Amino acid sequence: MQAEVEVQQEQEILYKQEKKRLTRKKLDSWLLLLPTLAIFIFFFLLPLFFLFITSFKTFDAGSGIGSEWTLQNYVKFLFDKFYLGVLWRTVKIGLLTTLVAIVISYPVAYQITKANGRLKNYLTLLVLSPLLISMVIRCYGWVILLSNNGVVNNTLMKMGWIDKPLTLLYTEFSVVIGMVHVLFPYMVLSIMGSLERIDPSVIRASQNLGASPIRTFFSVVLPLTLPGIFAGSVMVFSLAVSSFVTPAILGGPQVKVMSFLTYEQVTTMLNWPYGSAIGFLLIFIATITIVVYSKLLTRSEKGVAIQ
Amino acid sequence: MRKVLPKAGLNLFCLLVYIFLAAPIVVVLLSSLTTTEYIVFPPKGITLRWYTELLDHPEFMQSFTLSIIVAFGTAIIATFIGTMASIAVVRYEFKLKTAIVQLVGSPLLIPSVVFGVALLQFYSWIGIAASPIALVIGHIILTIPFVMRLVVASLVGFDRSIEQAAMNLGAGSFKVFFQITLPMIKSGVIAGAIFAFITSFDDLTVALFIVSTDVVTLPVRIYTYMQYQYDPIITSVSSIMILLTFVLMVVIERVLGVGKVFASKN
Repeated sequence: MQAEVEVQQEQEILYKQEKKRLTRKKLDSWLLLLPTLAIFIFFFLLPLFFLFITSFKTFDAGSGIGSEWTLQNYVKFLFDKFYLGVLWRTVKIGLLTTLVAIVISYPVAYQITKANGRLKNYLTLLVLSPLLISMVIRCYGWVILLSNNGVVNNTLMKMGWIDKPLTLLYTEFSVVIGMVHVLFPYMVLSIMGSLERIDPSVIRASQNLGASPIRTFFSVVLPLTLPGIFAGSVMVFSLAVSSFVTPAILGGPQVKVMSFLTYEQVTTMLNWPYGSAIGFLLIFIATITIVVYSKLLTRSEKGVAIQ
Repeated sequence: MRKVLPKAGLNLFCLLVYIFLAAPIVVVLLSSLTTTEYIVFPPKGITLRWYTELLDHPEFMQSFTLSIIVAFGTAIIATFIGTMASIAVVRYEFKLKTAIVQLVGSPLLIPSVVFGVALLQFYSWIGIAASPIALVIGHIILTIPFVMRLVVASLVGFDRSIEQAAMNLGAGSFKVFFQITLPMIKSGVIAGAIFAFITSFDDLTVALFIVSTDVVTLPVRIYTYMQYQYDPIITSVSSIMILLTFVLMVVIERVLGVGKVFASKN
């Protein structure tokens, strides 16, 4: 009897200690999270929430934001030819950038995966180094290269291929060039990831069965790396449609995209509600790309599992 | 022949891509040496005049100092609180974990322009004026996703038995953290800090909305200057920034090995 009570008491003490430990653990985790969470709620969620509210307000010439509620900002964008044109241009530049990035990244990713040891490290470094150099400066380099009396036009004229300079700068062309330059590393990394996961025995098998290197590439390697290309494309596309620096420097007001329109509406026109509405449409486009991608990914899970 | 030709073609193509990658950077570096009053490439003559001319533009020096201060502040705070949050995410179970992880990762998905506008509106409502701290707060939000991604990655493959051993030998949890945990996740933490520094130092989009006439970061200064002027001063400022980046890269290479930090698995 006595022993039973003792055991019971002991269990109770153990239970209490365990409970105390768990509460302390809970407290620890929240204390660790607190600073980050506080900053995110106060300076990220709250500002975005207020901006979302602003996008449903009327425009007031005096203070920028009127007091009436309206859907007009969104309606105005979605039923106006000019603004729909800007939306289309943004998507088009995003698609072109993605396409060019795939075409020029694939061979580079392939070459790097084939290289070994030190060379591989150096090539990786070379490809990634643009990420570390200021985007403003890189775009500025393209301004020098593409302007009317810039390097490209001067060289072409010297060679006698053109009589007068081509308009390269402040066009969709220059924006796409700049974006490919900025976003190239993301695509290379993504493709390299899927190239490295290919089992070498699969390639040997294809060769042993008599396939030429080119045939092996197109019927074995390329299909196996499609998920990498796909993932890279989603990343490059969503970064391209939302980027501001490149279109602002290499496109300017002549090549208006959504992000530049947002900036212009807020800082020049002082039309905060309309600027916010454009901004949230931009968030919508960037998010929908990623959501559709992850939906497709879960559906084709079996296809990915082959790797 | 059938084997050599595709390989030569591949190498040639890659060479062209590397030239494409290097072109804008090389052009900026070389045109900063020109003796002409305007930017020209290839440069005419060689002079360091545009570097000495910088001394007559104290505004560039001020912006440079400000950018360095903001980037340092951002890197230190973001790495500190980001590492804390990463430990919570990896080692503890708590309510709303998925939602919180998604929240702290979401600045990568939200266009910076929209975040900049939102922050500007919020700051003006609650009366925060342009200041280094206002910039640091914005940049912490931008950099936490990078820091957490890198630190979480180094925490996941962590062997906890060593910590357990230290605890059994009587070490307190702080001692365990600083003497065991931190040294083992060092490379992730340092890489996170460097990424945070570079992202903050490079940011134009968010800073563009927060700056005022007295508080101007270097990217904003360069951006506004080149909209009105086209003289080689910008190329010399840019060249100094590029050279600094190279120095930083050599340091990273010496400390961590860049290949190791970036390349997936070698």
